[in-house]
Amino acid sequence: MTDSALVLEGVSKSFAGHQAVDRLSLRVPRGSVFGLLGPNGAGKTTTLRMVMNVFAPDAGTIEILGRPADHAARDRIGYMPEERGLYPRMVLEEQLLFMAAIKGIPRRVAAQRLGPWLERLSLAEWRRKKTNELSKGMQQKAQFIATVLHQPEVLIMDEPMSGLDPVGMDVMRETMLDLHRRGTTIVLSSHQMDTVEKLCDRVALINRGAKVLDGAVSEVKARHGKNTVALAFEGDGAFLASLPGVVKVSDFGQYVEIRLAEGADAQRLLHAAAERLVLRRFEIVEPSLHDIFVETVTRDGQEAA
Amino acid sequence: MSPKLLAVLRREYLERVRTRGFVIATVLGPLLMAAMMVVPALVARSGGKPLRIAVVDREGSLRPAVEAALRDLRVDGKPHFTVEPGASGPAAEREAAIKKQVLDGQLDGYLLLPADAVEAAAASYYGRNVSNLGELRTLERRVSDVLVSRRLSGAGLDPRRVKDLTRELDLKTIRVSAGGEREDRGAAFFLSIILLMILYTSILMWGQLVMTSVIEEKGSRVVEVMASGLPPTQLLWGKLLGVGAAGLTQFLVWAASLGVISLAAAGPLVGSIKLPEISPLVLVSFVVFFLLGFLFYASLYAAIGAAVNTVQEAQNFVFPVIMPLVIGLVCFPVVLESPDSAFSVALSLVPFLTPLMMFLRIVVLTPPAWQIVVSVVLMLLAIAAAVWVAARVYRVGILMYGKKPTFPELMRWMRHT
Repeated sequence: MTDSALVLEGVSKSFAGHQAVDRLSLRVPRGSVFGLLGPNGAGKTTTLRMVMNVFAPDAGTIEILGRPADHAARDRIGYMPEERGLYPRMVLEEQLLFMAAIKGIPRRVAAQRLGPWLERLSLAEWRRKKTNELSKGMQQKAQFIATVLHQPEVLIMDEPMSGLDPVGMDVMRETMLDLHRRGTTIVLSSHQMDTVEKLCDRVALINRGAKVLDGAVSEVKARHGKNTVALAFEGDGAFLASLPGVVKVSDFGQYVEIRLAEGADAQRLLHAAAERLVLRRFEIVEPSLHDIFVETVTRDGQEAA
Repeated sequence: MSPKLLAVLRREYLERVRTRGFVIATVLGPLLMAAMMVVPALVARSGGKPLRIAVVDREGSLRPAVEAALRDLRVDGKPHFTVEPGASGPAAEREAAIKKQVLDGQLDGYLLLPADAVEAAAASYYGRNVSNLGELRTLERRVSDVLVSRRLSGAGLDPRRVKDLTRELDLKTIRVSAGGEREDRGAAFFLSIILLMILYTSILMWGQLVMTSVIEEKGSRVVEVMASGLPPTQLLWGKLLGVGAAGLTQFLVWAASLGVISLAAAGPLVGSIKLPEISPLVLVSFVVFFLLGFLFYASLYAAIGAAVNTVQEAQNFVFPVIMPLVIGLVCFPVVLESPDSAFSVALSLVPFLTPLMMFLRIVVLTPPAWQIVVSVVLMLLAIAAAVWVAARVYRVGILMYGKKPTFPELMRWMRHT
């Protein structure tokens, strides 16, 4: 038994001359919560679709749970596409049993599992309603049940949080983490790195179809050093950007994040700031994935140029 | 058959069968057929009260003969006309009185024989209703017979003898087939047209449903989950078989209720209703050629559905695809006229046309077995090709949103996958 849930090796895909995914290699360890992150159009959805055989890759190999990707292997994956979709005129219960059958689970077995799921996501009283009579939020939950009813070993969710209200997001996160605790491998894609980075233990950042960096979240952050300072103050902080050693100032309103050059001394910044501002908070923080991503992409861009 | 394909088949079948449209068409179809068969018969029997008429004779000697001729006419043992004496008196006064009786509703109408009725072969009918053409035609014949006899007698001939000698030909048409001989009075002609129309509309209608189903799947975005769950060919076959099974279910209900209706009708209405005989061969070939035609055209429809985003967009593509079917329909009089001609044989062997043309030939004049077999084999090959093409367009098309593809682009999709 292999310890990898998914392995992609040199996978490429182009559409009409546009290189959507370019020689991408990824390894998703079993039991991890893996974030596939990148801006819109980076190739996340295309990558996941190739894993699910919605598209065939132009080049490269894909392995699922240690086996070449075929339909039997894909039956062990639960896939929630970015474009959610259910049959509008189907009764909810029928719909979910059908989706399970498409994943190779007989109706009888699926029917036994369905009750608890409907209870848990408070859809029980809607089970005989047609899907187009459900609210958008309920349809999202139904879609989630459709994704997990066949008890997949790997759960792939493309932009799972998009379109969810805060309550829905909480339910989704809790359910996902619960599955994770029971050993399900979870792959999330998102362009909102800050919402997802808290969930993931491993990430891969991709841009324009190519991998920018990947690894355990802690490693990735450690690699980029503790050179970010969060600063809250009263007064005009415009001068901060021109202090020596400061690379970038990001203003978040309540506070600013100051990215320091490598080797720059945070203590000197503290002194300089304290001289001219009333400080309420000074903290050396880990850089966010967003910052790491932006920094890496800009640096790559400069190197390429 | 894989369980996944079966699941798709089941879903498609139930989704079609549970629609209101299906239930209505399936129930109303037989009711309409029953109405078409039974109502005219009932009207002809009960509604046909004998026409109450009187005869006004200005010639003076014709009235007894005409009245007798009308009174004697019986249809199914019932008199066709009730001849009332009407008011009495001299002709002019009597006519006025009778006219009043007609207006009062005591009479339906009256027949006026002018003084020169025999020579001029003229008579008039005055009635409240003069659109009952059938009855008036009968009236005309009977009166004409009387006038002709009168003229023959005048010329010194024996009317009875003349009638005997000039009896008209009664041509019976008997259909000869392997199953035996059967008298047929034009029913075969109407039957073949009706069955052909049902076959044509069914193939188009159920094919179109497959297209709509693909477009809806695309529109509701559910297709991506489907495509990640099973190969597109299986998805396509599940759809074709599920929708086809719904079509067959409808025919089955129709056939069963037709059988029940004709049994029920046979009891009280013996003799007045002639049900066209449908041989088992015709029934079987109807089902077979429906399935063949449906699978062929529906897979092309599915390809169209996969290539476009809306039903409106599909229209341009639909026309060239159903063209052959329309051609088949246009050619049917030729085949009906000479089902064995080289032209008809050729038409029935061209796969696009086989479902309609070969079926029509079987109904009209059973063709040699080898021709049927060849047509079915060619049709199966054509279906295999159509499904192959459709699966490829399908696989690429179902995830293409936005722009409507052009034909060259469709060609490229086929080569690429």
